[in-house]
Amino acid sequence: MDANIMQFEKKLRSSSTYKKFDVSDDGSVLRLEVSPSDMISLSKDCVSAGALYDSAFISLGKNSSFTTYYVFRVPELPRILVLVANGKEFHSITSAVPAAILDERKMQDLTGLKLQGIPDSRALIFHPEAGLPKSRPLNPGCGFESMQKDYPMVGTGAEGEFEIPVGPVHAGIIEPGHFRFQVVGEPILKLEARLFFLHRGLENIAEGKSYSEAVPLVEQIAGDETIANTVAYVQAVESFQGMKVPTRAKYIRTILMELERIYSHLADLGGMPTDVGFYLAASRFAILRESMMRLNMDLTGSRFLRGICTVGGLIRDLDDQKIQEVSSKLHSFLSNLDAIEVATLSSSTFIDRAYSTGTVPNALATELALVGPAARAAGVSCDVRIQFPYAAYDEVHVMEAIERDGDVLSRFLVKINEVKVSAAIVLELIEKLKPGPIMTTESAPKSDFLGFGWSEAPRGSCMFMVEGTSNGRIKRLAVRTASFKNWRAAEKAVLGNIVPDFPLVNKSFNLAYAGNDL
Amino acid sequence: MFGISSFFGKHCDLITEDSSDPQIKELARLLKARSSSPFARSIHVRMVDAGSSNDVELEEGLTGSPQVDAERFGIHFVASPRHADVLIVSGPVTVNAKLSVKKTYEAMAHPKAVVAAGDGACTGGLFSGGYAIAGTGAVSEVIPVDVCVPGNPPSPYAIIIGILKAGEAIQQKSKTSR
Repeated sequence: MDANIMQFEKKLRSSSTYKKFDVSDDGSVLRLEVSPSDMISLSKDCVSAGALYDSAFISLGKNSSFTTYYVFRVPELPRILVLVANGKEFHSITSAVPAAILDERKMQDLTGLKLQGIPDSRALIFHPEAGLPKSRPLNPGCGFESMQKDYPMVGTGAEGEFEIPVGPVHAGIIEPGHFRFQVVGEPILKLEARLFFLHRGLENIAEGKSYSEAVPLVEQIAGDETIANTVAYVQAVESFQGMKVPTRAKYIRTILMELERIYSHLADLGGMPTDVGFYLAASRFAILRESMMRLNMDLTGSRFLRGICTVGGLIRDLDDQKIQEVSSKLHSFLSNLDAIEVATLSSSTFIDRAYSTGTVPNALATELALVGPAARAAGVSCDVRIQFPYAAYDEVHVMEAIERDGDVLSRFLVKINEVKVSAAIVLELIEKLKPGPIMTTESAPKSDFLGFGWSEAPRGSCMFMVEGTSNGRIKRLAVRTASFKNWRAAEKAVLGNIVPDFPLVNKSFNLAYAGNDL
Repeated sequence: MFGISSFFGKHCDLITEDSSDPQIKELARLLKARSSSPFARSIHVRMVDAGSSNDVELEEGLTGSPQVDAERFGIHFVASPRHADVLIVSGPVTVNAKLSVKKTYEAMAHPKAVVAAGDGACTGGLFSGGYAIAGTGAVSEVIPVDVCVPGNPPSPYAIIIGILKAGEAIQQKSKTSR
């Protein structure tokens, strides 16, 4: 155990009580076992010791008890820290970590438990008026009698306030979600989003499947984060299956993840000019985006890079000649991108609308534990490619794109800079790529069958927890995507802005609905 | 001010039966054979996502990219179902989204047609049987479907071909109802 970890443990032990402290075999995950009643104080201590709240998961344990997992990232160690508690009654940790509220509401919906002290007990993933399943997905014995049937969305009580309901079916070509604006005149006083129209019960469907059978399901979490989610999932499985992924497979995974970031960011970069009516730049970005989709198609046979990555490596190898073509196409892409960037940023049409619109200040980004470009635009360093390297990221130079103001313009700049960094990473890896095996043949399963995997998806880091069984099946797949964390930022960022700026602000985050709703 | 130099070839795809792309070939044949019905030449489309992973929506968005440019075939995506001839639904249909699909369909004027886009919308796909899925997840269980476009997800050209076929289906319906 290295000195940093020992020091961290000492710091925690001086103030908190916990049962057990251990480190996973590959050294990347620290696990602390704790009793449910000590969770609040321990999570408070972890945060003051420098841990950043990431996510919370729950799974069914033995004898109708449950196990909760509160996951933190500790950048200075750098390790993932998991607080594990087993029991039948749990407390909400929102008094210590307010950002945990959505995870805990989801936990309540899945199990029928009531977390003590939770400030908002409305249903999250279920819409009682649309219909409910027979029993709770994670608790077959429990029905929905205890669930609150209505979903009150209250205003601020300001004089002359009125509501604007929007959605779930929107005017553009996007996914469904309901937004309720409370406004007086033009400025927005409050925005509440009610999502989960796309809740497909994905985590539940994965249960009982073998690890590689579940890969196509994971690819369906969010279309434009296919590879990022798949890599996070397979890494979680590989960590407890004791698989060493061959270098070539790691390199190709990294190349694909960066190609995905490029085409995904191009959608947002084109979307922001569209929403201010600057179609000249929008069409130029659309040309680049469609070209990148076709590049994906040429390289892998799938515009969304599906059907390549699997547990232990890759399903099939990529053609070396085609990989070399990517390199020359990317050079041409970059020179075109520069031209569009100059034109967009020198247009007053765009700058007038983007500057100081939809601001997420640094303090808010920290409080909501935001991830990805939304956090980096507010000056929060949170790139897991740098802080917790995976795949081939420890062998390439990754520059984190950071801005300060947290407005739409900052998010635009972060995204366009990330596209350039991604292209540089792809070019670097193509040079380093050597022939070799793409699939591991060895595995040495660990006894606990529990693994965590993460990756930096285009919208921010995602976290996967996979619990397996001794015969190689999934017992529980738990997913926390970047969108699930960042939706609350979109709600806060529009406050004080005018209603017509909402599409622009929303597009600057470009959060996934399907990725949020699962 | 700025232009895009010859990046990845021409900007706008040439639609011809000599194309090496089978989908462009089929589209060229369809365009040549399409009737003079207004529904085959000017089709207004509304989309509803009822449970896809946003891949179908991204491809629908890319039908408007300068390379593909669906508007040149007379296809326009419109904001309201009241303006639409064709409804394009991606799926599997979830319990929570079922009502939006129904209401959107009911809001459309007759004659109308429905395209189910993507594997999930056609059959329910991987999600069939899940607790949060309405029935098997196929759109045809919720509203009548005229054209199925399979694919994971279907490409922009496959979606366009589906919409053009739906336009012909409306033409048939308006003939029989008259």
